[in-house]
Amino acid sequence: MNEISDERIAAMLREAGEGIVAGKDFVPLIERSLADGADSFFAADSPLGTMYVVVGERGVRYATPLPASEEEFVRHYGETFGRLVVPAEETGGMSEKISAALAGEKVEVAVDFSGKTPFQRRVMEVVSKIPRGEVRPYSWVAEEAGAPRASRAVGSVMAKNPVPLIVPCHRVIRNDGTTGNYGFDPERKVRLLEREGVPVAEIARAPYVATPTTGIVCHATCHNARRIKPENRRTFRSMPAAVDAGFRPCKVCRPVAAA
Amino acid sequence: MPKTDPIAERLADGDPLAPRDLVERHYAELYRYAFAMLRDVHSSEDAVHDAFVNALEALGRYSAERVRGMSLRAWLYRITLNVVRNRVKKNREVAVEEVPVVVEGSGGREGFMDALDALGRLPERQRAAVALRYVLDLPYAEISEATGWNENTVKTLVRRGLGNMRTFMDIEEEKG
Repeated sequence: MNEISDERIAAMLREAGEGIVAGKDFVPLIERSLADGADSFFAADSPLGTMYVVVGERGVRYATPLPASEEEFVRHYGETFGRLVVPAEETGGMSEKISAALAGEKVEVAVDFSGKTPFQRRVMEVVSKIPRGEVRPYSWVAEEAGAPRASRAVGSVMAKNPVPLIVPCHRVIRNDGTTGNYGFDPERKVRLLEREGVPVAEIARAPYVATPTTGIVCHATCHNARRIKPENRRTFRSMPAAVDAGFRPCKVCRPVAAA
Repeated sequence: MPKTDPIAERLADGDPLAPRDLVERHYAELYRYAFAMLRDVHSSEDAVHDAFVNALEALGRYSAERVRGMSLRAWLYRITLNVVRNRVKKNREVAVEEVPVVVEGSGGREGFMDALDALGRLPERQRAAVALRYVLDLPYAEISEATGWNENTVKTLVRRGLGNMRTFMDIEEEKG
């Protein structure tokens, strides 16, 4: 019997080390590790200029106007979301879809609301449904989200919206019909809304419109309100004023009687 | 004072290409390590995948300062060993049948598979130490860093591991 020496075993193991090569599907495995362990980002055009959009496993997590540098963006994302973010290789049509959504087209985009409270989530969902060309006040969003008194809380959810344009927080305005804040640049909100065909100045004067032919009062941008003939238009600064004048709230845009 | 890892610096600075470079730089060696421990292509691929996902997720949570000073290579080895350990535990629980070993890209069983089979019969710490020393060809100082065991412990584990392997392989030779 020849005894196997330690050197022989060591040599065999070294040979094994050279012989073990990762399979031919090496590259997809690297991609999968990155896709599962980090989120990915890409640039997309939008009415706010080029934006960086981050997509995770469950949908869009973050969108921001072009940051000062990619490094700053990656660091900020890490600090906020606790995840690494890498340039997207393959988004499976997601980037086209999101670009379309950012451009204001009506496409369904999955948004990842994980980490949000149920209230924040409901607010984001309500706001997602405000159509292009229309605006709603904070108090209406609060009512629709099932928390009628939480108008201010709605404001802070909007201020922290991680996905502007995709969840159109610019379509939420102050209860008096003025456009209100938008990040560091309220003018931007006005420009975005004008682009979408919202008569910003008119709404600031009178956010509610009614017609005696039906006895119904609407948000000024409700599609029903826009069909009212000029001679029948009655405008109101507040809902109590409209209700006092005998009008009842529209069932489509559901203005809040107490607002 | 150990030199800082350039990828650790780039991760801390927010270089968006750094995570990919990290995975590419270490994929092959971690796969080799996992395969030496598990001897199965799919389990090894899964183990390396899980190790990288754990690592990337952790790096996402860590502060820039913490990342900057990390020895990423040793840390990745430690994570891989943990993943392998958990897989072995899980496999033992469901009593999975031994999967026939085929090294990808080769016509079948290579001669060195006997050595890997003998390695696979070692207790876990000996197996890890011997694999890192010879399959990965790491110096003792790095093995110590990659396992968290001190250098003398590693040396002892390697010596005992080789001794045990010799016994296993002698018996096999006698039988054959």
